[in-house]
Amino acid sequence: MPSLPHHENPTPRHSLRNQILEDRPVNQDGFVQEWPEVGMVAMDSEFDPRPSIRIENGRVAEMDGRERADFDFLDQFIADHAIDVDAAERAMALGPGTVARMLVDPNVTRDEVLRTARGLTPAALLETVRRMNIVEIMMGMQKMRARRTPANQAHCTSARDNPLQVAMEAAEASLRGFSELETTLGVVRYAPLVAIALQVGGQVGRGGRLTQCALEEATELDLGMRGITAYAETISVYGTESVFVDGDDTPWSKAFLAAAYASRGIKMRFTSGTGSEVQMGNAEGRSMLYLEIRCILVTKGAGVQGLQNGSISCIGVPGAVPSGIRAVAAENMIASMLDLECASGNDQSFSHSPMRRTSRLMPQIMAGTDFVCSGYSATPNYDNMFAGSNVDAEDYDDWNAIQRDYQIDGGLQHVGEAEILAARSRAGHALQAVFAHLGLPPITDREIETAVYAHGSNDLLPRDVLEDLKGAQSVTDRGVTGLDLVKALHEGGFADVADHLLTVLRQRVSGDLLQTSAILDDNLEPLSAVNDANDYTGPGTGYRPSGERWERMKRLRHVTSAENPELEVS
Amino acid sequence: MATTTAPGIELREIGRAGHGTRPDEVVLALSPGFAGFFTRTITDIPHAQVVRQILAGIEEQGGQARVIRLHATADLAAVAHTAARLSGSGIGIGVLSRGTSMIHQKDLPRLSSLELFPQSPLMTPEVFRAIGRNAAQYAKGESPQPVPTLNDQMARPRWQAKAALLHLKECELLVKGAPATEVEPVIDDPA
Repeated sequence: MPSLPHHENPTPRHSLRNQILEDRPVNQDGFVQEWPEVGMVAMDSEFDPRPSIRIENGRVAEMDGRERADFDFLDQFIADHAIDVDAAERAMALGPGTVARMLVDPNVTRDEVLRTARGLTPAALLETVRRMNIVEIMMGMQKMRARRTPANQAHCTSARDNPLQVAMEAAEASLRGFSELETTLGVVRYAPLVAIALQVGGQVGRGGRLTQCALEEATELDLGMRGITAYAETISVYGTESVFVDGDDTPWSKAFLAAAYASRGIKMRFTSGTGSEVQMGNAEGRSMLYLEIRCILVTKGAGVQGLQNGSISCIGVPGAVPSGIRAVAAENMIASMLDLECASGNDQSFSHSPMRRTSRLMPQIMAGTDFVCSGYSATPNYDNMFAGSNVDAEDYDDWNAIQRDYQIDGGLQHVGEAEILAARSRAGHALQAVFAHLGLPPITDREIETAVYAHGSNDLLPRDVLEDLKGAQSVTDRGVTGLDLVKALHEGGFADVADHLLTVLRQRVSGDLLQTSAILDDNLEPLSAVNDANDYTGPGTGYRPSGERWERMKRLRHVTSAENPELEVS
Repeated sequence: MATTTAPGIELREIGRAGHGTRPDEVVLALSPGFAGFFTRTITDIPHAQVVRQILAGIEEQGGQARVIRLHATADLAAVAHTAARLSGSGIGIGVLSRGTSMIHQKDLPRLSSLELFPQSPLMTPEVFRAIGRNAAQYAKGESPQPVPTLNDQMARPRWQAKAALLHLKECELLVKGAPATEVEPVIDDPA
């Protein structure tokens, strides 16, 4: 081989174009090589088990090459509670190629896929999606999503844990279309006040938004039982026994917690996602997606209606390896093909690149999922106490334009400023009334006025944090419940908000929010996979934005009038 | 006993790490790959700088520093807690190769700590110095203001996967059951 010409100057000269590319935001993202031996690989690893099943005496005797005697506790839980032994032999005999085609083929109904999927082992599910490219995965998602109508979820948080800000963000988010609102805290002791604020703000205007506060599990359950929150989401499951055990948990303890919520009619879902096990150094040499499939099956086996997945807080890990974002889309689709509600991620800061951020959304927003984001930051990201989301309050207009461009429903809509200011103001005054009724530190009119017009917590009047924390403690000590909030709202002159909250609370008596993928519709009636089942069977079928909804989606901040091009309509 | 090096620093292992007796002592425990397989933190702070800043911080407060290396674990809580348990004052600092750090106290549960610095990309030489200072103050029985922790929403996309890789690599260096060793650091860092 001829040697390369030797340059006298050892410092290489760079082109201007190279410098431009070097400085692009995408090059601030982290990318790493695969290392399958330790699980640093998205979904293509020779160390993953191969599909197999043997049923003896009505139970799984061998699964994915492992005898029952050698099962770890995840294998055991999945074999005994997630896999339908009556469906298993037929489903496994179809082979992954056939199942993959069933997912894509519009002539095969959702129900047919469900009947097959319930008999598949983790390795068989993995082999199935390994055959599918991203468009095929999106086609599968479009058909398999549980609820016909897609929806969205917002994060409403404050870097200062300011309850007033959270109430206003909740009211604005509700107006913009989010069906679920989630909060969490910087200072955990603030939780009761912030959860109350979220609950009150979410009932302003149309109301009926379901709220939750992400906390340590026992506190989260307590707030739910007292009716200060309406659902729970941050119940984490993991794909290896060692990570589960590190968290002092087992699939059975998580199933017990799920039952506690169900006993009170409270909606809940589990959380999992690719990358968590390898991040913690305990992937046991399996690919990220294989381990995530075990999480999805544990969720199924625990009898929980839904799952938040899509890597979630570990998105930087699959995001850094080849085919990682395809694996993340696949994990969403697998949750759906196992008939679980899927809150599909897009909830954590993912990339410095605006193009990559958008591309990350596409599989979920285009195919439609039960919740496209399992939190869209309703605040600017600096206020996002979930460590930043992939989309935030500064992206609303972009989101609405994308919905309009493709006629796809990501759950949001453009709302004029006057309407937003009115809702924020009303939420502020409603919370002021609730705080006054409960004897909590007062909220002043000046605080409300400032917060109505604010963008984020940097623009707010600071609160007396120590007094607020005492108030928060008293809420816990006195055992304040959702009904106390209803009374406070009613007596404070907010009868409509009180009525909405009471309607939300009454759902736990009927148990309708325990149905798969339940939200409340415009009339505060439950909309779930039971009364709004996904009926996609090919072109022209399934959910398509139409009628009033599509007209609403056509509106943007600036649209030139066709009638008089010198005017704008919005 | 091995000697490992990284630019500007040499770590000479001189024997099995024992319990200290000085009441003003702070033990600094380093992870298996520190200044050996690895030479700098996740954001390229040289390991020589890290050790120098922490020791200088301890010295500033009139504390006595001792350095050990762990071989059997790369778990930050275990590293820092071992340092605390071997420390004459009961105060120890644990540092992983990528820069993640913790100040620990021997009577606290292992998974608790006095101060935790979980985001390795946000560590700076100043923060390492402040960690040394605070640890020495705890050793004297004082209650210093915790070192302010930083936050960056974009740390995840930039660093999360590399942090995982660094952790996995460091775990490969573990020697099961090997006791902690006493280390004599020789620092030749102009900074």
